[in-house]
Amino acid sequence: MNTDIIFETKNLTKAFGALVAVDDVSIKVRKNSLHAIIGPNGAGKTTFFNLLSGNIEPTSGRVIFKGRDITHQPVHRTIHFGIGRSFQITNIFPNLTVFENIRLASQALGRDNFKFWANSSRFKLYEERAWNVIERVGLKERAYAPARTLPHGDQRKLELGMILAPDPEVLLLDEPTAGMAAEQVPELIALIQEIQKAGDKTVMLVEHNMNVVMSVSDAITVMHQGKVLAEGAPSQIAVNKEVQTAYLGGLYELNV
Amino acid sequence: MTTKPSSRLAAFFANQRGALIALLLLALLPFIVGLFDGASLAAVWVNGSGQSKFIQGLAIEIIILSIYALSFDVIFGITGMLSFGHSMFFAVGAYLTGISIKSFELGLPATLGIVFAAAIVQALLFGVVLPRVKGITFALVTLGIASVFHIVVMSSELGKYTGADVGLQGMVVPAFISPANERLRFYFIALTILALVYLLYKRFVDSPTGRVCIAIRENEGRARMLGYNTFYFKLAALTLSSFTAALAGMMHALYQPIVSPNVAGMGFTVTALLIVLIGGVGSLEGALVGALVYRLLDFGLRRYIGESASFINGAIYVVFVLFVPYGIVGTWRLKSFQIKQGWARMTGWLTGKPSSEDSAR
Repeated sequence: MNTDIIFETKNLTKAFGALVAVDDVSIKVRKNSLHAIIGPNGAGKTTFFNLLSGNIEPTSGRVIFKGRDITHQPVHRTIHFGIGRSFQITNIFPNLTVFENIRLASQALGRDNFKFWANSSRFKLYEERAWNVIERVGLKERAYAPARTLPHGDQRKLELGMILAPDPEVLLLDEPTAGMAAEQVPELIALIQEIQKAGDKTVMLVEHNMNVVMSVSDAITVMHQGKVLAEGAPSQIAVNKEVQTAYLGGLYELNV
Repeated sequence: MTTKPSSRLAAFFANQRGALIALLLLALLPFIVGLFDGASLAAVWVNGSGQSKFIQGLAIEIIILSIYALSFDVIFGITGMLSFGHSMFFAVGAYLTGISIKSFELGLPATLGIVFAAAIVQALLFGVVLPRVKGITFALVTLGIASVFHIVVMSSELGKYTGADVGLQGMVVPAFISPANERLRFYFIALTILALVYLLYKRFVDSPTGRVCIAIRENEGRARMLGYNTFYFKLAALTLSSFTAALAGMMHALYQPIVSPNVAGMGFTVTALLIVLIGGVGSLEGALVGALVYRLLDFGLRRYIGESASFINGAIYVVFVLFVPYGIVGTWRLKSFQIKQGWARMTGWLTGKPSSEDSAR
C-alpha cells in the first residue's frame, strides 16, 4: 500500500465560546486509504469535517493537504484542491432536477462558468459526466424529477453523486448512510468501496454503523469529547480497552 | 457543434413560438387599433392623432415597465437577492439621460455611453456590500444606498441639473425619436429593445452563469461547496440588471420627457416587486405579463375610480399574494389555483397562527 500522507491536521482546535468542539486533533490520512472517524454523538466529528472542508475556520492549528497549508482557504476553493465533501443532513438544490443538481456539480471545475451568452446544454462534457455519475449512483430513472420529490435514500445517493461529479481525490463523507433504510446500506457502502478502489481515491468516512466501519476501513480514528481517543487499524480499535468503555460500551465483539 | 446553424435557428423559432406571435401582434398593434378607430393606415403611419397614437403611448410605457421588471426579476426571481434599492438603477439612467441632453447638450450615442458607464459603477457599488450582507440585510443596505441617491437628486444644491423636487424638465428630445411627432418610430424602437433584452435574458437564464445564479437562489451554501465563488455570479446578475434598468430609465426619460424624483423613490422599487409578484417570480414571461396587468389595472382604476384607486389596487395585490402566490405565469403552468391554501393563509395571518403549509416551508 502507498504510504504517502495526503491529508494531515496539526493541533487542530475549534472552540465555540467555552465549548471546545475539536480539541488539539492531529491526524494523518494515508493516500488511497479508507479512513473512518468514529465516536459518540457530540464527539466533534462533523465539526472536524467542517474544518477540513473549510466550512468553518479553526481557532488554532493547521490543515495540510498534499503538503500545502489550506487552513484559511475559503470554502469554494476546497473542491478545486480535490476535496469533495458530502453532508450528514442532505444538502441539495431541492427545486432543481436530479440531473441539474449533478450537472451543476460537474460544471463547477470547468472554465465555462461565465459564458453567459451560450446555452448550458452546449457544454456536452459536463452533461456526459453528469450522466455517468447518475448511472453510477443508480438514479437514472429519476433524473428529471425535482430533487425534493426523491425518497430519502435516493437523496443520499444524489448527495454522493454531487461530490463524485467533479471527481475529487479525497472524499469526505459525513454519515453517507444516515437515515437510510437498513437494506439500502450495503449497496451504498459497496458503491463507496468500489469508487475508492477503482479510482485510487482517499475516503474519509464518518459512520455510526460499527459493522460497516469495521469491515471497510483501513484505519480508524476514534474521537471523544473533541479529542482523539485512539487511532489504528480496525482490529486494534476493536480490542482497545479505552475505546470499548468510552464508545463501544464493551458490547461490540469483532467478528473476524 | 454538429447541428447546422439553419436547423438551430429553426429549433429556436419553434421554441419561441409564443413570444414570436406576441411580438408580431405587438408590431401590428398600432395599425389594428387604427383600423378599429376608423383611421387609415397612412394616417397611423404619419403619426396622425387618434386612438392608435394613444395606445402606442400606453404600450411604450408598458414596454419600459417590462424592461424594468425584467431587470428586477434577474436579481430577485433568478438569483434570489431582494434589493430594495432597485429604483436607483432605473433613476440613474433616467436622470443621466436628462442631464446629459439638457445641461450638456450631448447626442444620444454619448448619452448612452454615459448611462452604461454609470450602470457599471452602480452595480459595483451594490456589489461592494454583497460579500458581507445577505437576505434582509442586503435589502436594507440597498434601501439605504438608494435613499441617499433619492435625497441627492431632491437636493436644491443640484437643482440646476436635476430640478430638485419638481423633477427634471425641459429637455429637448432629438427630433427623429420625438415621442410627440415620431411616436410610431419610438414605439418600434422600444419594441425592438424589449425583444432584444428578453432574448438576452432568456439566454442568460439558460447559460452556465444563469444556472449557477438559480443554484444560488436555491441553496447558496451548497453552491459555494460545489466550488462556485458565488460573489462573482451575484455581481454578474447585478451588472446585467443594472444595465437593463438604466436602459429602461433612459427610455423613460426620452419618452416622458421629464424625470420625476418619484422614480428614485422606494415606491418605484415596490412597483417592480409588485409587477414580478403579479406575473410570477423567477419567470421572465411573468415580468412581461405582470407589467401589462399592472399598468392596465392602474390605468383603468384611475380612470374609473379616481384617487381612491390605489386603495383598490393595494387590495388586489393582497389577494394576489394570498391566492395566486406563483403569479399569473406560475399559476398558468401549474394549472391550479390556490383557493383553499389562500384561505388557510389568510385565516392564519388573521389569527396569528401560520398555516401548516407555510410553517413547513
